[in-house]
Amino acid sequence: MNHDPGSSQQVVVRLDGVHKEYGDAKALDGMSLEIHAGDAVAVMGPSGCGKSTLLNMVAGLDRPTSGTVEVRGQDLGTLNETGLALFRRRHIGMVFQFFNLIEDLPALDNVALAAQLTGTSARQARRRALELLDELGVADRKDTYPAALSGGERQRVAVARALMNRPALLLADEPTGALDSRSGEQVMDLLIDLNQIGQTLLLVTHDPRLATRCASRLIEVADGRVARESTLEPTA
Amino acid sequence: MSAVWSASRALLRRRKVQTAVIGLVVLCSTTTVLLALTLLSAATAPFERAFGEQRGAHVVAAFDRARASDAQLARTAGRPGVQAAAGPYLQAAVDIPEQWMWVPSGLLTIVGRSHPAGAVDRVRLLEGRWATKPGEIVVNWPVQGSPGPDKLGTKLTVRGAPALTVVGFATSMSKSAGAWVAPEQMAALHPSSVQMLYRFTESATDRQIRDGLAEATAGLPKGSLTTTQSYLTLKRAFSAMADSYLPFLTVFGVLGLLVSALIVGHVVSGVIVSGHRQIGVFKALGFTPNQVVAVYLAMVSVPAVAGCVAGTLLGDALSRPILRDAFSGIETGSAAIGVSPWVYAVCLLGMPALVALAALVPALRAHRLSAARAISAGDAPRTGRGLRVQRVLGGTRLPRAVSLGLGQPFARPGRTLMTLAAIVLGVTTVTLATGLTSTMVAFGRHGQGNGAAWVNVEAGRPGLDQRAPKLSDRQIEARLRSLPGADLVTARALTRVRLAGYTQTAFANFYRGDTRMYDSEIVKGHWPRGRGEAAASPAFLNQHGLAVGDRITLYLNGRQTRVTVVGELIEGNPQALESTWQTLAGLAPGWRAIEYTVELADGADAKAYARAVKASDPGLYVLPGASTNTTTATVVSFSVVFTVLLTFVAALGVFNTVLLNTRERRRDLGMLRSIGMTPRQVTVMTVVSVAGLGAVGGLLGIPLGIAVHRVLVDHVAVVAFPESMKDVWHVPQLAALALAGVVIAVLGALLPARSAARLTIAKVLHNE
Ligand SMILES: Nc1ncnc2c1ncn2[C@@H]1O[C@H](COP(=O)(O)OP(=O)(O)O)[C@@H](O)[C@H]1O
Ligand SMILES: [Mg+2]
Repeated sequence: MNHDPGSSQQVVVRLDGVHKEYGDAKALDGMSLEIHAGDAVAVMGPSGCGKSTLLNMVAGLDRPTSGTVEVRGQDLGTLNETGLALFRRRHIGMVFQFFNLIEDLPALDNVALAAQLTGTSARQARRRALELLDELGVADRKDTYPAALSGGERQRVAVARALMNRPALLLADEPTGALDSRSGEQVMDLLIDLNQIGQTLLLVTHDPRLATRCASRLIEVADGRVARESTLEPTA
Repeated sequence: MSAVWSASRALLRRRKVQTAVIGLVVLCSTTTVLLALTLLSAATAPFERAFGEQRGAHVVAAFDRARASDAQLARTAGRPGVQAAAGPYLQAAVDIPEQWMWVPSGLLTIVGRSHPAGAVDRVRLLEGRWATKPGEIVVNWPVQGSPGPDKLGTKLTVRGAPALTVVGFATSMSKSAGAWVAPEQMAALHPSSVQMLYRFTESATDRQIRDGLAEATAGLPKGSLTTTQSYLTLKRAFSAMADSYLPFLTVFGVLGLLVSALIVGHVVSGVIVSGHRQIGVFKALGFTPNQVVAVYLAMVSVPAVAGCVAGTLLGDALSRPILRDAFSGIETGSAAIGVSPWVYAVCLLGMPALVALAALVPALRAHRLSAARAISAGDAPRTGRGLRVQRVLGGTRLPRAVSLGLGQPFARPGRTLMTLAAIVLGVTTVTLATGLTSTMVAFGRHGQGNGAAWVNVEAGRPGLDQRAPKLSDRQIEARLRSLPGADLVTARALTRVRLAGYTQTAFANFYRGDTRMYDSEIVKGHWPRGRGEAAASPAFLNQHGLAVGDRITLYLNGRQTRVTVVGELIEGNPQALESTWQTLAGLAPGWRAIEYTVELADGADAKAYARAVKASDPGLYVLPGASTNTTTATVVSFSVVFTVLLTFVAALGVFNTVLLNTRERRRDLGMLRSIGMTPRQVTVMTVVSVAGLGAVGGLLGIPLGIAVHRVLVDHVAVVAFPESMKDVWHVPQLAALALAGVVIAVLGALLPARSAARLTIAKVLHNE
């Protein structure tokens, strides 16, 4: 990984007074927070409190009703849809609870696709994808379509895809929520390893064990607002 | 390979059915569109090109020599509106007693010209050379190709004129003469008229032609202009057969385009709706909205281009026999019948463009789709609309599987409408094709009267290396009547006559005997009965501006007679007139019949009769009975092919809908199965969900098909179908057609319904 530990004070994400309303429902209600390079931040809170909405804002998948979202100094509100897409493919990697792999592509091509978007040739993209799958221990499943993979395998392929473009920020929305405990452990270890080599991590989870093991900071959200922030001692 | 291409290739590979549907639909419609365009271009362009090359005459006019002097006529060339003129040329009509080469007996128009070139009507020499001195003649060859050099040197002997030797063959797109001689020869042919050829500055419409001619001839003595021929008449005659195919091909072409656009839109929108979550993922990965649209367009373009190329090849192959048929027997002169390159260009570029456009509409939904919602909501959100209907249906006493199925179309109104449209188009096509087939079969049968066998007999012609008959004309007729098996016998004479007011000569058939065998050929009025009565085809009447009841003067043999048009044939030669033997007797007494038609009694054996004819006089030649009309065969096979294709395509539309519905409802289906619904009930529910649409589609499609059928049969210019052939609908047949929609729907639904029923519950739940 190419992150310089010396830059750990650099602000990667800044949310300032972000509101998001869906009709009458308030998903985010004036959220503000900062994430620094190299951080591993866990976001926790009850179902429906706005955690996924927060991640979508940071990824530029959705726009706030008011307030600003800055990622790596870029105000996302100033970008149009195309600009957001270009920003996303360069700086963001995303992992979801239900994997969201492209069902029509085998594992290897799912991972390679992310690199192809940045103009990498198919051959080079596949080579790097295979390296990543190998690192994550699923290289032997490279030609398998997602429907035939187990949940743990799918999530590892999804993580590989998220890492493909060496993103500044890895977003994970309940990455172990759909996994059995053994697969969950493996994904957890994977995230810890990634953070230790400098990957900035924003992690939404229900699982206190995941939060305490992976994260250095904990943000508790309630009703679309930051309710409490604390620093965690890594236990690993 | 770019990310867009990678993604669309993956979609393609995993959606073989949808890809095949798009490819097939595009293939079918490209084929039809190509055929329609081919005919459209062949109907006008070749004539215009050849006519332009020859600087053809907009009007060929003949003047009475006794009333207008050459000097007066030459001055008409300078009148306003006249762009160019040629002449004056002396013109004579000579009587040819027997068919001479391909020139039929009757009048031959001969014009004296010193050369084939000039400002107007540059006659194209096909063989030999131009006539330069007395005793030489150049003969017009009206059809494709050339007669070859071996007929040069043939002699023509006409009563009261010196013998003429053929020194050349030529063709005039203006049809300005049947033959040409050197001007010095004309005196010996006793010319009574003078020919002028005009090109006008304004010549697009009949009216402009009429006005131009009136302006040009304004200064001439009254009554000096005897006959005129407009090039627009020739142009119409040129494309008469092609024009008769055009309505059919146009309707099928338009249907094909509609179905293409509909099905492509339907398939793409299905792929997008079922791929909602996937689109969200594409966007989360960093695909721009335009790239997402491009993924779907690229996915469609592969089968579209393949189908388009295959359809163009197929259409090209099919167009050859159709063109051959459409221009068979037409005097095409030097016009080369072929397909203009723009037709291929339009198909190869236009069809994929149309498909892309049809795909763009649903693909733009992917453009707008919110990624955040697609990812979190997963499947497309349900509307509340269908749920109310479901509740109401749930309260009825229908079996639950049936009521659940009936409610499904309301859950997705857009998709339901598309499916309905596909079914309506399918049923319209089936109805139209059924109607056309009935009409054309009735039409093909009309010549055979009550269905009895019939035989044509020709008197042998020594000029064609045949033996002359021993029997006289009247004896032959009597002999044919007396041979066992004969029921009705007619005799026919054929000659070329001149019609007052028209430059071009016409063929005239004169009949005697039991002509009631032709009564069924008449659509309006009656078959000519006595002296001075005539009938003609709709094409003849159109091209001569005549209608039943009009009178017209025929010239032959230095005599003339007035005939009244008393009947219109269902169809026939656009250049021929039918009349009676009594009419012929007034013009040319003592002419022989060239052909006899014998209708055999019920059960008589045509082969045995033919043998008896041959045995009684070896100078009689039996022709095989006319085979089925080629137009009939073409139209019928065309509509059958299209019915099959479009029914198939409509069923594919339904198939696609049901496939999408069941994919989307997998979770529901798994749930219904887990609470005890049997696979059979799942099948019933799924099939019922579209069978209702099929029934509605049937009810809408039938009147539409009947209306289109009526418009078509009313617009075939060369055939006037009698009401009995147009009104082909019966109750049982309509009832069967009403079922067609249901059949299309059930056919399309059955396969995906059964596979939905066989889904294992565990697998469904595993994937969720
Ligand atoms: N696309 C949407 N349309 C309407 N409401 C939404 C949408 N996305 C989220 N919400 C609502 O916003 C609130 C926060 O949702 P979310 O961020 O998904 O919560 P969670 O913390 O469980 O991830 C919820 O009440 C949810 O119903
Ligand atoms: Mg959530």
